[in-house]
Amino acid sequence: MSARPVAERDPRPPTATVVSSLLAAGIAALAALVAAPIGGAVVGLAGAGFVAGAVRRSPRTLSRAAGTGAVGIALAGALGGATEPLLVSGVALVLAWDLADHGMSLGEQVGRAGRTRRNAAVHAGATLFAGALSAGIVYGVYLAAAGNRPVAALALLLFGAVALASALT
Amino acid sequence: MSERVDSESDAESPLRQVRREVETGRWDGVVGVALALIGVGVVARQPPLVLVGAVGVGYALHARLGEAPEATLDVTRTVSDASPDPGDEVTVTVRAHNAGDAVLPDLRLVDGVPPGLEAVDGPARVATALAPGATATFEYAVRASRGEHRWEPLRAVARDAAGSRERTTDIESASPTRIVCTPELAAGGDLPLRGLTTTYHGRVPTAVGGSGVEFHATREYRRGDPATRIDWNRRARTGELSTLELREERAATVVLLVDARESAYVAPEPDAETAVEASVGAAGQAFTALLGGGDRVGIATLGPLDCWLPPGAGSVHAARGRETLATDPALAPTPSDERFYRSLWFRRFRRRLPVDAQVLFFTPLVDDAAASLARRIDAHGHLVTVLSPDATATATTGNRLVRFERRARLRELRSAGIRAVEWGGERGGQESGERGGQESGEREGRGGAESFAVAVARATGRWSR
Repeated sequence: MSARPVAERDPRPPTATVVSSLLAAGIAALAALVAAPIGGAVVGLAGAGFVAGAVRRSPRTLSRAAGTGAVGIALAGALGGATEPLLVSGVALVLAWDLADHGMSLGEQVGRAGRTRRNAAVHAGATLFAGALSAGIVYGVYLAAAGNRPVAALALLLFGAVALASALT
Repeated sequence: MSERVDSESDAESPLRQVRREVETGRWDGVVGVALALIGVGVVARQPPLVLVGAVGVGYALHARLGEAPEATLDVTRTVSDASPDPGDEVTVTVRAHNAGDAVLPDLRLVDGVPPGLEAVDGPARVATALAPGATATFEYAVRASRGEHRWEPLRAVARDAAGSRERTTDIESASPTRIVCTPELAAGGDLPLRGLTTTYHGRVPTAVGGSGVEFHATREYRRGDPATRIDWNRRARTGELSTLELREERAATVVLLVDARESAYVAPEPDAETAVEASVGAAGQAFTALLGGGDRVGIATLGPLDCWLPPGAGSVHAARGRETLATDPALAPTPSDERFYRSLWFRRFRRRLPVDAQVLFFTPLVDDAAASLARRIDAHGHLVTVLSPDATATATTGNRLVRFERRARLRELRSAGIRAVEWGGERGGQESGERGGQESGEREGRGGAESFAVAVARATGRWSR
């Protein structure tokens, strides 16, 4: 005895986004593993968290997994990981989170059965581009200028950049 | 999350209306994580961590810089068949052309499928990215059902590249899309009417003696009675002249009253036919049967929207009745949002109802209002026959309670002298009997659903004098 509902739609995230998120998380874990094994393990945990969040459709789980991944990278960095793998790990981690979260919103608004591939690809490309660009700039500046500067000077420089960015927005 | 309604920005196009603009907040906290990484890097004296933090700042900039693009789309929608038969699959093709100058990196389109239709093949949604001048096309199929269905605007959700801002726009297609589905009325069997008739000849037997075919009574011969009607056997036996009276058959005026209040939109299962659908189908059968029998038939609905087809006869009236049952908004496949005022409705209905009209009341009887209304109409001298599609289920205790209440209402109506037929439902069988107890339902076990025609035929047998 109920009013007639609209046909059910499958609200799970599209498979492609979940799979590519898992792939990116794998790369992140691998890169962190190269930097420092313990950090790599924690980042791997974050990858599992992304999959769990996508399956349970819980943004909170995704955020927590992303936080775990950041802790993993911090751990790997604090244990003396090299610059390059850490940068790769960071960019891949953000990509993994972004794909999982984007896939979830696609699942909510369009559904699993809908055509979403192009959308997801363009979105992932934009995020990857932004990450690669900023990593390239930071790494380039680091190599060119800050190679011999103390860390505190570098941080202060960055703090200035952040303040500028906040003022801009 | 900030939210604002903005309808002025796109004033040049009446087809597009911006519904809302929100910050999705999905990048919230990225600056905090970045600063935390930098802090750890400073404390641990590790430059690589500071660099990773700096990349995080880059993401924050990426999230802040974008602006939710305006979805300046031109939408055209085509349907494969604008007047399908019920149950046909109609393919709908939607083309969205990016008429603006901006790239739409993240665009989700949700088509406004009419509430009475159901998308059967593929979702009526797509997510894509559109460059200026590009066109996205998607297709889906709907299963046509009775009624006139108009498409609602397509909803476009556009996000910036980072997905941090989104803008929802409703876009009308260039020309309105609609399909009209008018089912053929099923030919109905004989429907027994009650003894309220007009003065015209028809097929409803009355208790009035006169000319007809069926024996009614004999009476004393009066001068002028036709010789063919004299009871010659009696004359031979007793020597007295007497005249045979035959039962007069007259035409009736019938108003088919369909319950279309929101409470009547009930079904035993989520995707089953609603009681309103079942009522309309049965009313269609009754309409053709009665009209074919020479009665005058009208249509009315009990619901917030006004629908009144005065009783009439003839082929034009038949066509009009078919159209009313198929496409009248008052009988739409989904309930209307208007409020329903019972006493106002009743006053109007009484004023319109011809004095000699009887009422066939199609209602699922899921609330007391319908039952009391049937009694009220009956009390005003318009004989009422209640025809009730059974929309109750037995899955839960609540379902069974509703079923029991409905059964009690039927019994009450019958004891008040109102004829009632029920059909459909999970169990067929004798429970539609005049004094049918609830035990008979159990005895019958699980039969198939009883169709309207079968239920009426069974009831006719019971009601025959």
